[in-house]
Amino acid sequence: MTGRRRRAGVGRIIEADVCVIGAGAGGAVAAAELAEGGASVVVLEQGPRHDADRFSARPLDMLARLYRDGGQTTTLGTPPILLPLGRGLGGTTLVNSGTCFRTPPAVLERWRREFGLEPLTADALDPCFARVEAALSISEVTPELAGGNAAVARRGAEALGWSHGYLRRNARGCVGSGVCAFGCPTSAKQHVGITYVPRAEAAGAQVIAGADVRHVLVERGAARGVEARLFDGGHLEVRAPTVVVAAGTIHTPLLLARSGLGRASGQLGRNLALHPATGAFALMDELVDMANGVPQSFYVDEFASEGIMFEGVAGPPSYVAMSLPLNGRRHEAAMAEYRRLAMFGLMVSDGSRGSVRALAGRPVIRYELIEEDVARFRKGLARMEELFRAAGAREVYLPLPHGVAPERARARDLKLMAFHPLGTARADARPAHGVVDEHLQLHGVRGVHVADGSVVPSALGVNPQLTIMALATRLAFGLLGRVVPPPTDRSDRAPERVA
Amino acid sequence: MSRAKPDVGREGLDRFVDSAPQPQRSGMRLLIALERRPRGRRVLARAHAIDQLATGLVAMGRYEDPANAVPLGWDADAVAARGRALRREEGRL
Repeated sequence: MTGRRRRAGVGRIIEADVCVIGAGAGGAVAAAELAEGGASVVVLEQGPRHDADRFSARPLDMLARLYRDGGQTTTLGTPPILLPLGRGLGGTTLVNSGTCFRTPPAVLERWRREFGLEPLTADALDPCFARVEAALSISEVTPELAGGNAAVARRGAEALGWSHGYLRRNARGCVGSGVCAFGCPTSAKQHVGITYVPRAEAAGAQVIAGADVRHVLVERGAARGVEARLFDGGHLEVRAPTVVVAAGTIHTPLLLARSGLGRASGQLGRNLALHPATGAFALMDELVDMANGVPQSFYVDEFASEGIMFEGVAGPPSYVAMSLPLNGRRHEAAMAEYRRLAMFGLMVSDGSRGSVRALAGRPVIRYELIEEDVARFRKGLARMEELFRAAGAREVYLPLPHGVAPERARARDLKLMAFHPLGTARADARPAHGVVDEHLQLHGVRGVHVADGSVVPSALGVNPQLTIMALATRLAFGLLGRVVPPPTDRSDRAPERVA
Repeated sequence: MSRAKPDVGREGLDRFVDSAPQPQRSGMRLLIALERRPRGRRVLARAHAIDQLATGLVAMGRYEDPANAVPLGWDADAVAARGRALRREEGRL
């Protein structure tokens, strides 16, 4: 027994085959597949279990309830970047836009070449992706459901001859409520809190919300379990020979570090990629009503090979009020025209790298935007303006200080957010270069695995939830010692509706 | 149509600010206090980026209020009610 265990005091003890830490994209998927495969599983989730009946469709209200720190986690660096993270069963899948991309083949090839991740080929991952896609009812958004905001971007892209398309999302029975990021009021978005978590529970997994895991316990180089503090102040020890850490890219390295694990390579907490992003607005002649429809339904990938991706973003008036890059009377005037405002997002596949470490128990995230990424934003913002002008915009509001043209923007001029933290416990086949191996097991420790965005060793250039879920699926079946089977038939899906 | 609830926006903004970690929480309280006073707004006008943040924060609260959001075509109560009805009707979680 460790000294830490003695300090924690004796509390409730549960024995299981596997303890999964975190019920987000990685943890929920691993837990469900393991439980359905016959393993006894305990899932410990730090956040609460949310009740969709309390989803109010009010951004401010929901930010405070569904997000860690009210969605105000921020990086230190130039510029500071807002990094909203979901909290509760479902993790960030509860509050993301639902966009689903498979890992681009070029990225998998890079992983093979640079990180020695030979087994992670497109062919090998195909059954994992297929299984996740079936479980989450992934399908392409229809133009009707995409709404007026997507129609503006489509018109611009078509006029310019730029590559574009409707996004694939994990939704069924969607009516385009317009608040994916603030708790889907219809439960159409198939986040893992309403898909994989119930499957895990139905298969016998114990899912405990409000459990803050303090340490992963290891004895003689092998997992022994975890110890956690419960919401009610009690202590819990889960004794398990296999531990799957899925606390997310920001919190997984902190948990491993305070457990004295994963530090041998010197890479723990480093290599943080974020996909920094920003949004621009256009005042149109037509009624757009951006919140009527799927906020992220359309993409323009004309510049994807340069690390620049455009994806839809939209929201209710209070969300737009916060995001509009204007002040004073210009802000008031633009808000009065809310119904004619269109909005679109720009995401950069970053070469910049940051780090995360703990200070007084909280994460300190450092991230400096390198010149190459600033150049991507310069080009991306100029192209975004072109897109809106080609769509017939009367005015374009770029997220830059008044009077600063895109080509002259500096890092400190940019107003950025990020939604895809990755890489802080990166996978690399070589113990000296990565925290986990190609099977997502900690180098040098038997039975401790990581299954969240922290293992993804590079920026993807696309939304990462499907990559994380596919890797978690592969891990689960690897632990079960089975080949990943074809998707389970879940043919009870509701039809898509148009609002 | 929702009935106007004059405190919804302000209460929402207070909850949002309270949920932020330090030092953002104190920083936002200061910005909101300045933005709500004419003299404070004159101070903020000297720093464009901070002024924009303060404008956005206070406006976020203002447009959370149905009295300001509904005329712009956004009725949060109706969206939430439709969601609840659909979930019941189709037995969704």
